[in-house]
Amino acid sequence: MKPAEASLPSDTEVLVKRSFAAPAKLVWRAYMEPDLMRRWCSGQPGWSMPVCEMDMRVGGRYRWRWRSDENGQEFGFMGEVLEVVLHARIVHTQIFDPGDLGVSMGGEPSIVTVTFQEAGGITNVATSIKYASKADRDAAFSTGMTDGMETSYKLLDDVLAEG
Amino acid sequence: MHMTQLDQAFAALADPTRRGIVVHLARGEASVSELVGRFSLTQPTISSHLKVLESAGLISRRKEAQLRPCKLVPERLKAVTDWLEQVQEIWEGNYKRLDVLLAELKRHEKQERKK
Repeated sequence: MKPAEASLPSDTEVLVKRSFAAPAKLVWRAYMEPDLMRRWCSGQPGWSMPVCEMDMRVGGRYRWRWRSDENGQEFGFMGEVLEVVLHARIVHTQIFDPGDLGVSMGGEPSIVTVTFQEAGGITNVATSIKYASKADRDAAFSTGMTDGMETSYKLLDDVLAEG
Repeated sequence: MHMTQLDQAFAALADPTRRGIVVHLARGEASVSELVGRFSLTQPTISSHLKVLESAGLISRRKEAQLRPCKLVPERLKAVTDWLEQVQEIWEGNYKRLDVLLAELKRHEKQERKK
């Protein structure tokens, strides 16, 4: 599968797309079941995911926390589920929990929308992160380890493609 | 590099014309008038783009020469690309583990069906 592709559709939004060689209902499970989620969403090498609590029903809450093996530093995300369309779409709020990293990503929750679209056994997953403000998005960019950041490597692709 | 400088560099590179200028300068120094010719934009427009690139530290301009040719600052661009690569690794690292997990779930399903 091609590597994740990120773009900045607006000042406050980040969109990441990736395809997976599996039916949508399996990809869905990997996103919804904490035991599965924990296996792939553990972050970069040297980090573990000690907390992965998820109640992915409308009104339910989730809490994810990562810990550095090296120095025990922690950070995380938490939020509330706003919308669930089985095997197709989940919308939730997301608040950055800086733990002891000592960084801020703005106080307002962002809105994360993940859509799953299956075609011929391949599932296209699109993750949109909508920040409360441009300042919040920029703060997310500078944090270094978070969901908001994977985004702008597209800039590099563009620079290289044009060269 | 300090994060605010990195932010500034990202903001500067978010514009397609400025990325074009960076790519052009990757081949060597160029004067404002050369860039004006290359991009079919007015001189004030090119100059304002150059100002943004210069304050983000992505280019430098020789003061002594009359044409003040522009030059890429490769270290700064490398800091940006290094950071982007690191970010991509984190994201793609997760997704690769998801690929493995999904393959496993698919095998399980097949076995269940056989039973």
